[in-house]
Amino acid sequence: MAKINAMMDIGKRSMMNSQTALQTTAHNIANKTTEGYSRQRVDLVTAPPVNEGRYQIGMGSRAAGITRTNNPYLEKQIQRETGQMGFFEGRSESLARVEQVFNEQSNKGLNQYVTDFFNAFRELSNTPESVTTRTMVKETAEAMVNDFKRVKTQLTDVQKDADMQVRFHVEEINKMTREIGSLNEQIAQVEIQGTPANDQRDRRDLLLKQLNQKVDIKYAEGDQGMVTVSTAGNALLVSGIDHSDLSIATNPDNGHTDIFYQTTSHTTPFKVSERIKGGSLGAILEVRDKTVEEYKANIDTIAETLADEVNSAHMGGFDRYGNQGAEFFTFSESTEGGATNLNVNSLITQDVGRIAAGARPNAPGDNTVANVISMIQYKQVLDDKSSTLDDFYNSQVGKIGVAAQRANKSRDSQASVLQQLDTVRESVSGVSLDEEATKMIEFQKAFDASARVIRTADEMFDTVLNLKRL
Amino acid sequence: MRVTDKMAYNQVIGNLQKNRADQSDLQNQAATQKRINKPSDDPVASARVLGQRTEQRGSEQYMKNINIARSFLEFTYQSLAELSETLVRAKELAIQQSNDAGASEETRRVVSQEVGQIYSQAIQIGNRKLGERYIFSGYQTTQSPFNINGTYNGDAGDMKLQINKDAFLSMNISGDKVFLGEGIGADGIIRETSITPKTADEVRQLQENEHLIQEQKENGDEQEFTLRAPASKATRQRVVQSQVSQEQSGTNVLKILKDFEIALKVDDKEEIQFAIDNLDSALSQVVNARAQVGSRISTLNHTTESLQKAIVENKGVASQLEDADVFNTMSEINKNDSTLQASMETSSRLIGKNLMDFLK
Repeated sequence: MAKINAMMDIGKRSMMNSQTALQTTAHNIANKTTEGYSRQRVDLVTAPPVNEGRYQIGMGSRAAGITRTNNPYLEKQIQRETGQMGFFEGRSESLARVEQVFNEQSNKGLNQYVTDFFNAFRELSNTPESVTTRTMVKETAEAMVNDFKRVKTQLTDVQKDADMQVRFHVEEINKMTREIGSLNEQIAQVEIQGTPANDQRDRRDLLLKQLNQKVDIKYAEGDQGMVTVSTAGNALLVSGIDHSDLSIATNPDNGHTDIFYQTTSHTTPFKVSERIKGGSLGAILEVRDKTVEEYKANIDTIAETLADEVNSAHMGGFDRYGNQGAEFFTFSESTEGGATNLNVNSLITQDVGRIAAGARPNAPGDNTVANVISMIQYKQVLDDKSSTLDDFYNSQVGKIGVAAQRANKSRDSQASVLQQLDTVRESVSGVSLDEEATKMIEFQKAFDASARVIRTADEMFDTVLNLKRL
Repeated sequence: MRVTDKMAYNQVIGNLQKNRADQSDLQNQAATQKRINKPSDDPVASARVLGQRTEQRGSEQYMKNINIARSFLEFTYQSLAELSETLVRAKELAIQQSNDAGASEETRRVVSQEVGQIYSQAIQIGNRKLGERYIFSGYQTTQSPFNINGTYNGDAGDMKLQINKDAFLSMNISGDKVFLGEGIGADGIIRETSITPKTADEVRQLQENEHLIQEQKENGDEQEFTLRAPASKATRQRVVQSQVSQEQSGTNVLKILKDFEIALKVDDKEEIQFAIDNLDSALSQVVNARAQVGSRISTLNHTTESLQKAIVENKGVASQLEDADVFNTMSEINKNDSTLQASMETSSRLIGKNLMDFLK
């Protein structure tokens, strides 16, 4: 038999359900712009009915749970692609800086300084007697030496900047793994009661995505919904509710910042820098340790070869005072390579008369050696004697151009891949105000109607109570 | 498809950013008038542009070298022209005074003074300077080549200037050749030193070679000697003497003038008649040298022409490689402007309103 009480109860519960639904709508609207948020909805199911002999009377509805609308496979894909994106973005940014070092589209660069240097010797061969042209040779040589140093310094700056970024990234990574550990704990606590931990999971998904953007990670969800995160092969960053920090230390050999991982506080930390291959950190490390090193070595080769060739010719000549030519370039002692140590011999900077232009002593008009030195520009001295100094340097510029261009292109295409995936994700999990507005009306009406059900039940009670007054 | 608010925002931001990026790129192109502003804009072209620039600066430098060489050679040419004029005058005088029909001891003594003048004029021409440099003293450009006795203080140096990639040209003729007739071939032609050393090894070889010649001159007996090739080559070549110092067939112009003057003074008719022949060969030696200089100048002119052509072509290629197509850029800018405007206008519609605005 139907009961007025039951009716009142259904109405009450219905009001509570509507309230839950409206609160969820409010939560959705409030988190409309929260990154990584998945919209939530209340799952309403019918309450267990009451059996009344031959029929069942429905007992209204109840809220079975609040779930998030989310596609875990899509999330996983996004996380993976974000890792790629991090790598491409990091590489493209770092290479853009390297490229700038070699960019002489609008300003004077090494190519021009080297050309000027050789042209100064051509000028010297015009008037080997003149102090002016000799001074010009000295000036252009010094300018060229300085530009060699400039290139090296700027490349080193790119590396130093990368070191700063490594520090910064490692700090961020540690912050994230700590939070993932604590989220693991919260999720396990909530979900052990069978309730999905919607907001915590959203947050953890987002953190995993951001972490993957910084460094290539592997992760898997295990017992109680906790994820295990590892990087660089087998460095466990998060395991259950525990997390391990990455640490940094300066390599005494090259001054670069290396990344270390310590399994427990008792074990010795081991270096993981070389094993990090992905994410922006992987890209920064690659550019810092491979690309820039390679360019530095090549610039050193150019400087050393140039100096050797010029010295060999110069020392075969005679200066203005009839002395055998001294070394034109000297190398100072330092751990850095050739281009940084290159100097114009102080004998020459102090007295341009020491520049040897001729092949014979006491022949002021002899320009044989000046000609020979200027011909070094066209001499194939690099790459197994197959390319000239100019060719070799220009090919370096071409190479960094190609690398930067490719990095930009892969970044752009990755960005569009990611944008599409994001669109799909937002389409599934994003909050639509139109939808929320509709739901708000819907549940408000349901709330109103439920209240009316209670009032009707109340009136029915009144009717029943007033029966005996008749 | 379910369209949510964030999707719309992302789309709007993405599109606007893309439009802005394009715009900034195009603006940069328009402002610099360059298609390439960094190597990654077009790696192949930017490497080639550097090559072109080197080539360009090289060509400009060769033009400078050519101008220096030309002024040097033109001055030499002019000086030799004057020298040949004085020799012509000397020859006239020799013919005049070679017989007794129109000349006597008296006239010869008078004429001898004029010839003395001619002699010192020749010395003067030999000591000509262009700027700070003596043009006839070989490498000894800071030293006057001739003293009044006609002794030569210069050397046989050929100052080679690079007038093109791989091409060198001597810008001087040393006085020992043109005035003293040393080192002139049997055909009376003055030759530039054939070797222009282009590497340090070649310089060493040249120095060794010259050292040997010097020794040989001092000893005067060796007819043949071996030359060591550069260290990279294991061969030894034998150089026969005639290759080193050419057969002497030149004329000492100054000596001839001096002899002529003396012959006039002592009234030696026979010697004066000799002088006519000698002056003839001296004249042809100087004229020959002048022709040499002239042909070098014309080489320079040809090279200038081809260099100028190369410079213009080079500029064209460089421009094609790196310059922006202005019309194209401008029309792209206009297109991009209207795209940007369209995205902004539609953006306001996409994100401007939602259902909430219509519910009262």
